[in-house]
Amino acid sequence: MRCTLPLLLCCSLAACSTSTPDEQPEAHASTSASQLLAPSLRRLSVAELSAAASSLVGTDVDLASALPADARQHDFSRSLTQSVDSLTLKQLVAATRDVAERLEPTSPTLPACARDALADDQACQAQLITSLATEAFRRAPNEGELSSLRAIFETGAAGASFRDGAVLVVRALLGSPELLYETALGSSTVGARLSLGDDELASQLSWLIGGAPPDAELRRAASEGELHSGRERRRQALRLLQNPAARSLYRRFVEEWLGLTRLRSLAKASSVAPDFAELREPMLHETETVIDDAFVSTGGALQQLFAGSYSIVPSELSNLYGIAATGAEQRVSLGKLGRVGLLQQASFLATFAHEDESAPVLRGKAVLERLLCRQLPKPGELGIELVLPPPNPAATTRERFALHAREPRCAACHDPLDGVGFTFENFDAVGRLRSSEAGKPVDTTGHLLLDGQDLPLRDSAELSLALAGSQELAECAARQVVRFAAGLDATAVEDDFVRATRSLAEPERDSIIGLFLAFVEGDWFAWRARP
Amino acid sequence: MTLRSPRIDRRTVLTALGAGAILDMLPSEVRPLSAQTAGARYFVGVYMPHGMAREYWLPHEGFDIGYDGCSLAPFADANALGKSYADQLLVLEGLDLTAGIEGATSGHDGSRVILTGSAQSGQNASIDQFLAIERGLGQDTPLASLVLGVGNSAPDLGQCISYAKGGVALPKLVDPSQTFDQAFARLVVGNDPVALAKLERERKLGKSLLDYWRDDLGRLKARAPQNERDKLEQHESALRELEKSLGSKLDGCTPPPTPDASGFPRLASYGGGEPYFDTVTNLQIDLLAQALSCGITRVATLFLADLSRTHLDPALPDDVHIDVAHRYTSGGRAGGGNPQSWQQLARQNHYTSTKLARLVQRLDQLGILDQTVLIALSDMGDPSRHTSRQVPALLAGGWGGRLRGGRHVDLGSAGTPNNRLLVSVQQAFGVESESFGEAKDPAVVTGSLEL
Repeated sequence: MRCTLPLLLCCSLAACSTSTPDEQPEAHASTSASQLLAPSLRRLSVAELSAAASSLVGTDVDLASALPADARQHDFSRSLTQSVDSLTLKQLVAATRDVAERLEPTSPTLPACARDALADDQACQAQLITSLATEAFRRAPNEGELSSLRAIFETGAAGASFRDGAVLVVRALLGSPELLYETALGSSTVGARLSLGDDELASQLSWLIGGAPPDAELRRAASEGELHSGRERRRQALRLLQNPAARSLYRRFVEEWLGLTRLRSLAKASSVAPDFAELREPMLHETETVIDDAFVSTGGALQQLFAGSYSIVPSELSNLYGIAATGAEQRVSLGKLGRVGLLQQASFLATFAHEDESAPVLRGKAVLERLLCRQLPKPGELGIELVLPPPNPAATTRERFALHAREPRCAACHDPLDGVGFTFENFDAVGRLRSSEAGKPVDTTGHLLLDGQDLPLRDSAELSLALAGSQELAECAARQVVRFAAGLDATAVEDDFVRATRSLAEPERDSIIGLFLAFVEGDWFAWRARP
Repeated sequence: MTLRSPRIDRRTVLTALGAGAILDMLPSEVRPLSAQTAGARYFVGVYMPHGMAREYWLPHEGFDIGYDGCSLAPFADANALGKSYADQLLVLEGLDLTAGIEGATSGHDGSRVILTGSAQSGQNASIDQFLAIERGLGQDTPLASLVLGVGNSAPDLGQCISYAKGGVALPKLVDPSQTFDQAFARLVVGNDPVALAKLERERKLGKSLLDYWRDDLGRLKARAPQNERDKLEQHESALRELEKSLGSKLDGCTPPPTPDASGFPRLASYGGGEPYFDTVTNLQIDLLAQALSCGITRVATLFLADLSRTHLDPALPDDVHIDVAHRYTSGGRAGGGNPQSWQQLARQNHYTSTKLARLVQRLDQLGILDQTVLIALSDMGDPSRHTSRQVPALLAGGWGGRLRGGRHVDLGSAGTPNNRLLVSVQQAFGVESESFGEAKDPAVVTGSLEL
């Protein structure tokens, strides 16, 4: 297999395993039902629906502007909260009608006979229906399904053309619950556990790793029962990772994990950045470039993501970063900019800031909750009403937020929050470096309890370096992989997976792709708890 | 106004415990609300951004809302509206979004609580969807409900007031062209034989597709675990809605003109500021009122997103969120604060009132105001403190004879859960339950307001 991941990692990943892989469903019983996910139905995200439609009609389809935005969990668009409400269905039906009506008889997803078939060409009709249904359902259709689709075809073709029949079949499939939901319902029971079926395994694997419906090779592996083997799932996952769609999915995981997709709908006060609307996309582009780079060179190593020493800065950001504009992207040593890793990029700093000022609480919260998976109570849960520090042009943000330390009820949570958040105080609301605020020098010192040690921190660069090498970040990344895969919080499964990752080899444990591979290889992926 | 003493019955306790599934098994003695001929017929829920400056939104003695600076003055502006609607307005002071405060869903997240009476973890539908779907108010209209917004289409926490059973936020239509398409486009046919033939074929194909999808969904439902049933029932409901829209036509109602999209060439979401906020809001309001009066739906909600950078009032700073709402300094009922900050927020609130007054006027002109239950709430009382206590609430319409306007009702400083308003709303439609929403303490979700 050709491997576009770094050779060392690729070989290492191919050989690793987290736990005894389940060669046969009935032979495996290492994970108890309480550590498995519940059976579920997940409505595909808008991006996934676009991918499904693209693969069905053989041309690029983007439904993002036609459908309501995704309902998210932890910012992840893979979410069990996605549903088919009335508006979504109507807009989906309208959008997919337009997609289907653009179907060309020469589409690569239609059989060759469709080019000049007449409306009553039964043989070509059968070929076409089987081919499209297989693509749409991510599995071979059964006779009942084929029969229903024949009726659809005939309704569409009656008094019209073969193509009209095909168009109606495509419309039926694009609105079909079989296509809209990814199922994890299981096909056989072993004690209190349910084994996912062959087709479900293929579908789950393909959407989770490849960001697309299963391809022919995956369907073959499924039909031969190979995907019940953890090693085979890993092998297939490594194969899927060679596709560009897999890189997009991995990028989406990192961006959604960090909450950066929020940036697109944020604004900043004109006094801080009058041109902010023009900076948002370049900020995300910079981050995506670095994330992509990390995929290619290290499989998304946490060290590279969070303690990376360079960036590719778009020309639009040169002013913000204080570098000479060249009119093109520049590879820049972050050390020269006084920055390190993703947390000191403008995208993160601007996302977690207020409109007109930095936000130590938001930045601290982002690090503690997103990167270290710590659960912080909301003030309301503690009976504390949120009171924002009053504006005071003569005081620094840090001085104003020092109120937290004086109020004992607030201090319990805010000491760790602000201890992290204050380390970013040398960056303003858009991530621009600053050395003073309100005429006073900024104070970026803080502290963080990490891996059992209370670390004094000089600034957020030191914070990034400490995080990147920490066990807690690696374990939180593992937890986030489970949330992304499961589409919801799944504490027991997360705990079990985190425990398992402790025995992984370092390149695998400390990289995003390594964690995904470990997850798909294990029982958490292939089994469900019987309801 | 007096508060009815809570009567805690089995249903109440089960609701408070979040036992929606058990409730479903209880025999229902209520006919679909669509079949009822008396009482309220239409529901409209509106989210107002930024709270309201209490110093300028409360009426003065004699229900005077025309005093200098009053943010409710637009309701009494007979020059703009043709007549004063002050007597159609009930100003309700003293509501808390209690379930949200107790369930960590307050401040910017508080809109989640306005129509659900539940925190983020709640599983019940919002009152609009409860009436439309669970109680059948939308059963025989082409659309069960219209969920509209201005400025932000994302179904995110803090950006929605309509929730389906199961607790999932419903997406909003923020583009007036799409609102028109959903509500009217398929119903406006004309006499062009080619268009009629095309429509007839589309209906035939649509029915065939619906049968196919329904069978497919039925097979999936048979295999689905209990915990995923709400999701599939929502899908079934969506298919019913789709079916209704296929066979619907307008009877005795002139549809509004197609919105002129050149008036809003670009739509943007919250942070960037909706550049055509006023145009879009007016169109959404007019389409909403027309949809109700034409019998397209009986239930609608409207979410007016943050007004920052909408440049609606040259006397206000660009960034209304930060420079007005965050700078509001008030001592609340105790008095005190910064009067200049009150005036600034009141100016912004005044704008929101012009839009609500427009909605009331349109409903009146279309002859359905008396049968309409209109409630408009904000997620915060004091927006600079981000508190969901003492949130402003405006009630309008006749509520089918249950609401007497021209009054200011103060529920007191202790804070009355907004659930009681929602109970009163459902009772205006003939749902004789004494509870609505979910909370750990049954007292939060129980009881009504006598209006």
